[in-house]
Amino acid sequence: MNLVKTDSTDHQLIEQFRNGSPEAMEKIVERYEESIFNFGLRMCGQVQDAEDIMQETFLNALRSLHNFREETKLKNWLFRIAANACLRKRRKKKFELERELSLESLMPGAGSEAKFDIPSLSPDPDSELLRAELRDVINDAVSSLPPKYRMVFSLRDVEGFDTEETAQILGITSQAVKTRLHRARLFLRKKISEHYRGE
Amino acid sequence: MTMREECKEYFEKISEYLDGELDSETCEKIECHLRECPECLHCFESLKRTAEICRSLPREKIPEDVEQRLKDKLKGFLSKDAAKSFDL
Ligand SMILES: [Zn+2]
Repeated sequence: MNLVKTDSTDHQLIEQFRNGSPEAMEKIVERYEESIFNFGLRMCGQVQDAEDIMQETFLNALRSLHNFREETKLKNWLFRIAANACLRKRRKKKFELERELSLESLMPGAGSEAKFDIPSLSPDPDSELLRAELRDVINDAVSSLPPKYRMVFSLRDVEGFDTEETAQILGITSQAVKTRLHRARLFLRKKISEHYRGE
Repeated sequence: MTMREECKEYFEKISEYLDGELDSETCEKIECHLRECPECLHCFESLKRTAEICRSLPREKIPEDVEQRLKDKLKGFLSKDAAKSFDL
């Protein structure tokens, strides 16, 4: 059996909620609302969509927290709800076509040069402008990732879930997580590099 | 310019290597190759840097009105729930 290391603060809050404390739910929301909101924003692009996803996630959580057995961490459970909310929203809107990223198209030398120009993060506060530019470049690149790759990238590289956790949250295999993450990173590298090479 | 077959094999494994998901034997093979192949070294390093800068993106703050509406929704739900009493 897999013993999940639950976060002790979460565990206490869940207990308190079950014992009738609505404040416990508020605290749970405070702990995770920002990451869920940002996840929704990254996945759907609009503040309105991110708001819907955040509301749906916490209302659903509120409804079923009594039955939550803590077989997984609370954060993972919440992201599973949020990921499903994103999928539902996308299905409703049909605004993005799912497409495959082939490894060949992302290989160095495929349609571009073999060199990649990726800026490094400078701790220099004078470079605020460069940082802002880099942030915009990354955000643009991320939003142009096909959704299923963006989903895996968001969970793995932004939220820091490991491969196994991401597979559980999305209900896909670990191998699929690895494949999508690798292609997502290759795609982002290409996009970012194209910007800095002025292509 | 296209990649050599040997390099392709490593190219597919870069992320797993960076994430520490490969066995030590494979890691050694990769490290050995990186010492003698500048193209692959560049490929690995630039992908590593890509993942690093993407990870460091700051989060957006939740707009105040969005936050307020969430609180109101939850409060509304909780008071309905309390009226039904906690008898699940
Ligand atoms: Zn090589």
